Amino acid sequence: MQEKIILQYEIEQWLYKEAELLDELNFDAWYELLDEEIKYIMPLRINQMEESKPDYSEATLLFDDDSTTLRLRIDRLKTDMAWAELPPSRTRRNVSNVKIKEVSGNEVTVRSNLLLYRSRSTDTTADLISGEREDVLRNENGKWKLVSRWFLADQTSLATRNLAIFV
Amino acid sequence: MTTTRTKQVPRLDEMTRSELIQYLKDTVKPEEGLIPSYIFSHPKVYELEMEKIFLKDWLFIAHKSEIPNKGDFVTRELGGQSVIVTHGADGEIRVLLNVCTHRGMKLCRMDNGNQKNFTCPYHGFNFKNTGELIGIPFQKVVYGDTMDKSTMGLKEIRHDVYADLIFATLDDDAVSLDEFLGDIKWYLDLAFNRAEMEVVGLPQKWNVDGTWKLGSDNTISDSYHTLVSHGSIAKLGLVPTGDYSKYGYQIYTGNGHGLNLGMPNPDGFAFPENLINEYKERLHEDQYDILKQMKNMIVCVSPNIMILISSMELKGQQVSHTSLRIWKPTGPDSMEISAWVLVEKDAPEEWKRLSEQANTLTFGSSGIFEQDDTENFTDITQNSKSPYHLQENIVYNYTMGMHQEPVENFVGPGIVYKDKFNEANSRAFFRNWLDQITAE
Ligand code: FES
Ligand SMILES: [Fe+2]
Repeated sequence: MQEKIILQYEIEQWLYKEAELLDELNFDAWYELLDEEIKYIMPLRINQMEESKPDYSEATLLFDDDSTTLRLRIDRLKTDMAWAELPPSRTRRNVSNVKIKEVSGNEVTVRSNLLLYRSRSTDTTADLISGEREDVLRNENGKWKLVSRWFLADQTSLATRNLAIFV
Repeated sequence: MTTTRTKQVPRLDEMTRSELIQYLKDTVKPEEGLIPSYIFSHPKVYELEMEKIFLKDWLFIAHKSEIPNKGDFVTRELGGQSVIVTHGADGEIRVLLNVCTHRGMKLCRMDNGNQKNFTCPYHGFNFKNTGELIGIPFQKVVYGDTMDKSTMGLKEIRHDVYADLIFATLDDDAVSLDEFLGDIKWYLDLAFNRAEMEVVGLPQKWNVDGTWKLGSDNTISDSYHTLVSHGSIAKLGLVPTGDYSKYGYQIYTGNGHGLNLGMPNPDGFAFPENLINEYKERLHEDQYDILKQMKNMIVCVSPNIMILISSMELKGQQVSHTSLRIWKPTGPDSMEISAWVLVEKDAPEEWKRLSEQANTLTFGSSGIFEQDDTENFTDITQNSKSPYHLQENIVYNYTMGMHQEPVENFVGPGIVYKDKFNEANSRAFFRNWLDQITAE
């Protein structure tokens, strides 16, 4: 039990730290948290009839990234021509309902909720992206690295002008 | 004491319809390259657009590969009206108004699925996927013999198909789809008839506080913006720096439709090699010759479709990707973008995956090219809302390339300009738009 509590604490702290790095636009430090083999995926949420069916499509991916393409996205943001994030969005990632689903060897599978608040430029209305994550974290030499992220937004038609941010 | 006002803000909302139409004719001057800013957000202009364009034109609603089997359906929107595109039990494709004939409830609220019938959530009227009303709860008790079900089927909307693209129109008097598309079909073949194409999954959708017209305007003529708007991509070395986006042709084919063709491709052939025979069989040799050299192709089918073939190097391979999107108006100053990805059905699985990934990385809501465009669309639209723009009649400059003459020797149809840095297509697009919204 005590081990479980410690693991839960460690994973929660990792997710909060990760959220903080992204909110602070510290993308290089964030990239350090990613495993070289990372899969970073965002399927499309859809309106489906049968409850038994998953109400999303993995055939349509809004993010379909690996470490090379994530590096590219970060490098792009560093150029002085990444207009989509000039000025950068103010974001606030609220991570909650952290549930460890599975522990196997040095890997854990963790589900969490993400409520991402995004404010652009002078806009007085904010964009909200809410959804569920399933992450796999691997412990290597005492450090947790993100091996895969799967993010499913709650909206079928996103109320934000683009996904120039990370989820 | 009285003050003298030298300038007044034209009150478009107080004008009669014919005054408004006259005002538009007086201030929008496409041939002179002058487009006033108020048209990008004024509610009165939007009202005319909805009535004269979106209730009349042929609009894209689905690709045939989205509903391959009997019973398959997708729900879509057409001129602000929800419709169900069904592959009926009889094998026919139909576009049915998603409005229950009893009391107007939306019959289906799913994005897609496979169903033989649709049951209304309000009182349970039951319709076949052919539109026929087949069941009414307690019919005998509540209607006796007075209800004639055969007159109560779902309203069918006129539709037609070209290159597996299903178009529909809310205007029964519209010209045929064939006539509406005209010469743009020659170029649509390159995108959708070069091989058997299929849609990947479902379209993704996102919302932008910008007018749909800026999407079409950008599509039909603006390769010039790529230098700066998408400058970050050149800085990363993903595209050559400088004037790479200039080479090729800008082509106008009439009815508001046109394209920009980027060629040659310095990086070589960007399509799956195993399909070369299929391409050659399905395309005219002039068309295949273009495909062979194509770097990219950006097509606008008026009013609001963008078709894109783009290519890039990903994971050491030159790969093309094909997409279609609509800039769907959701208000005078806002739109929803829906974007479909298509691949060659018989391409190797590996190639398909790479093509999809290239598309997701560069276009679509998270695309590193695409992201920057929405900033432009939003800010231009929001700027245009100020009454100051009306008071001063602020106009934007669309004169680029007016000193140039079309070329005569291009193999495809249309009015063709060498090189893509030109605004001839926008001038033609806005002329077509103006004629449509000011038509009596
Ligand atoms: S509104 Fe559909 S059954 Fe009454
Ligand atoms: Fe662009």
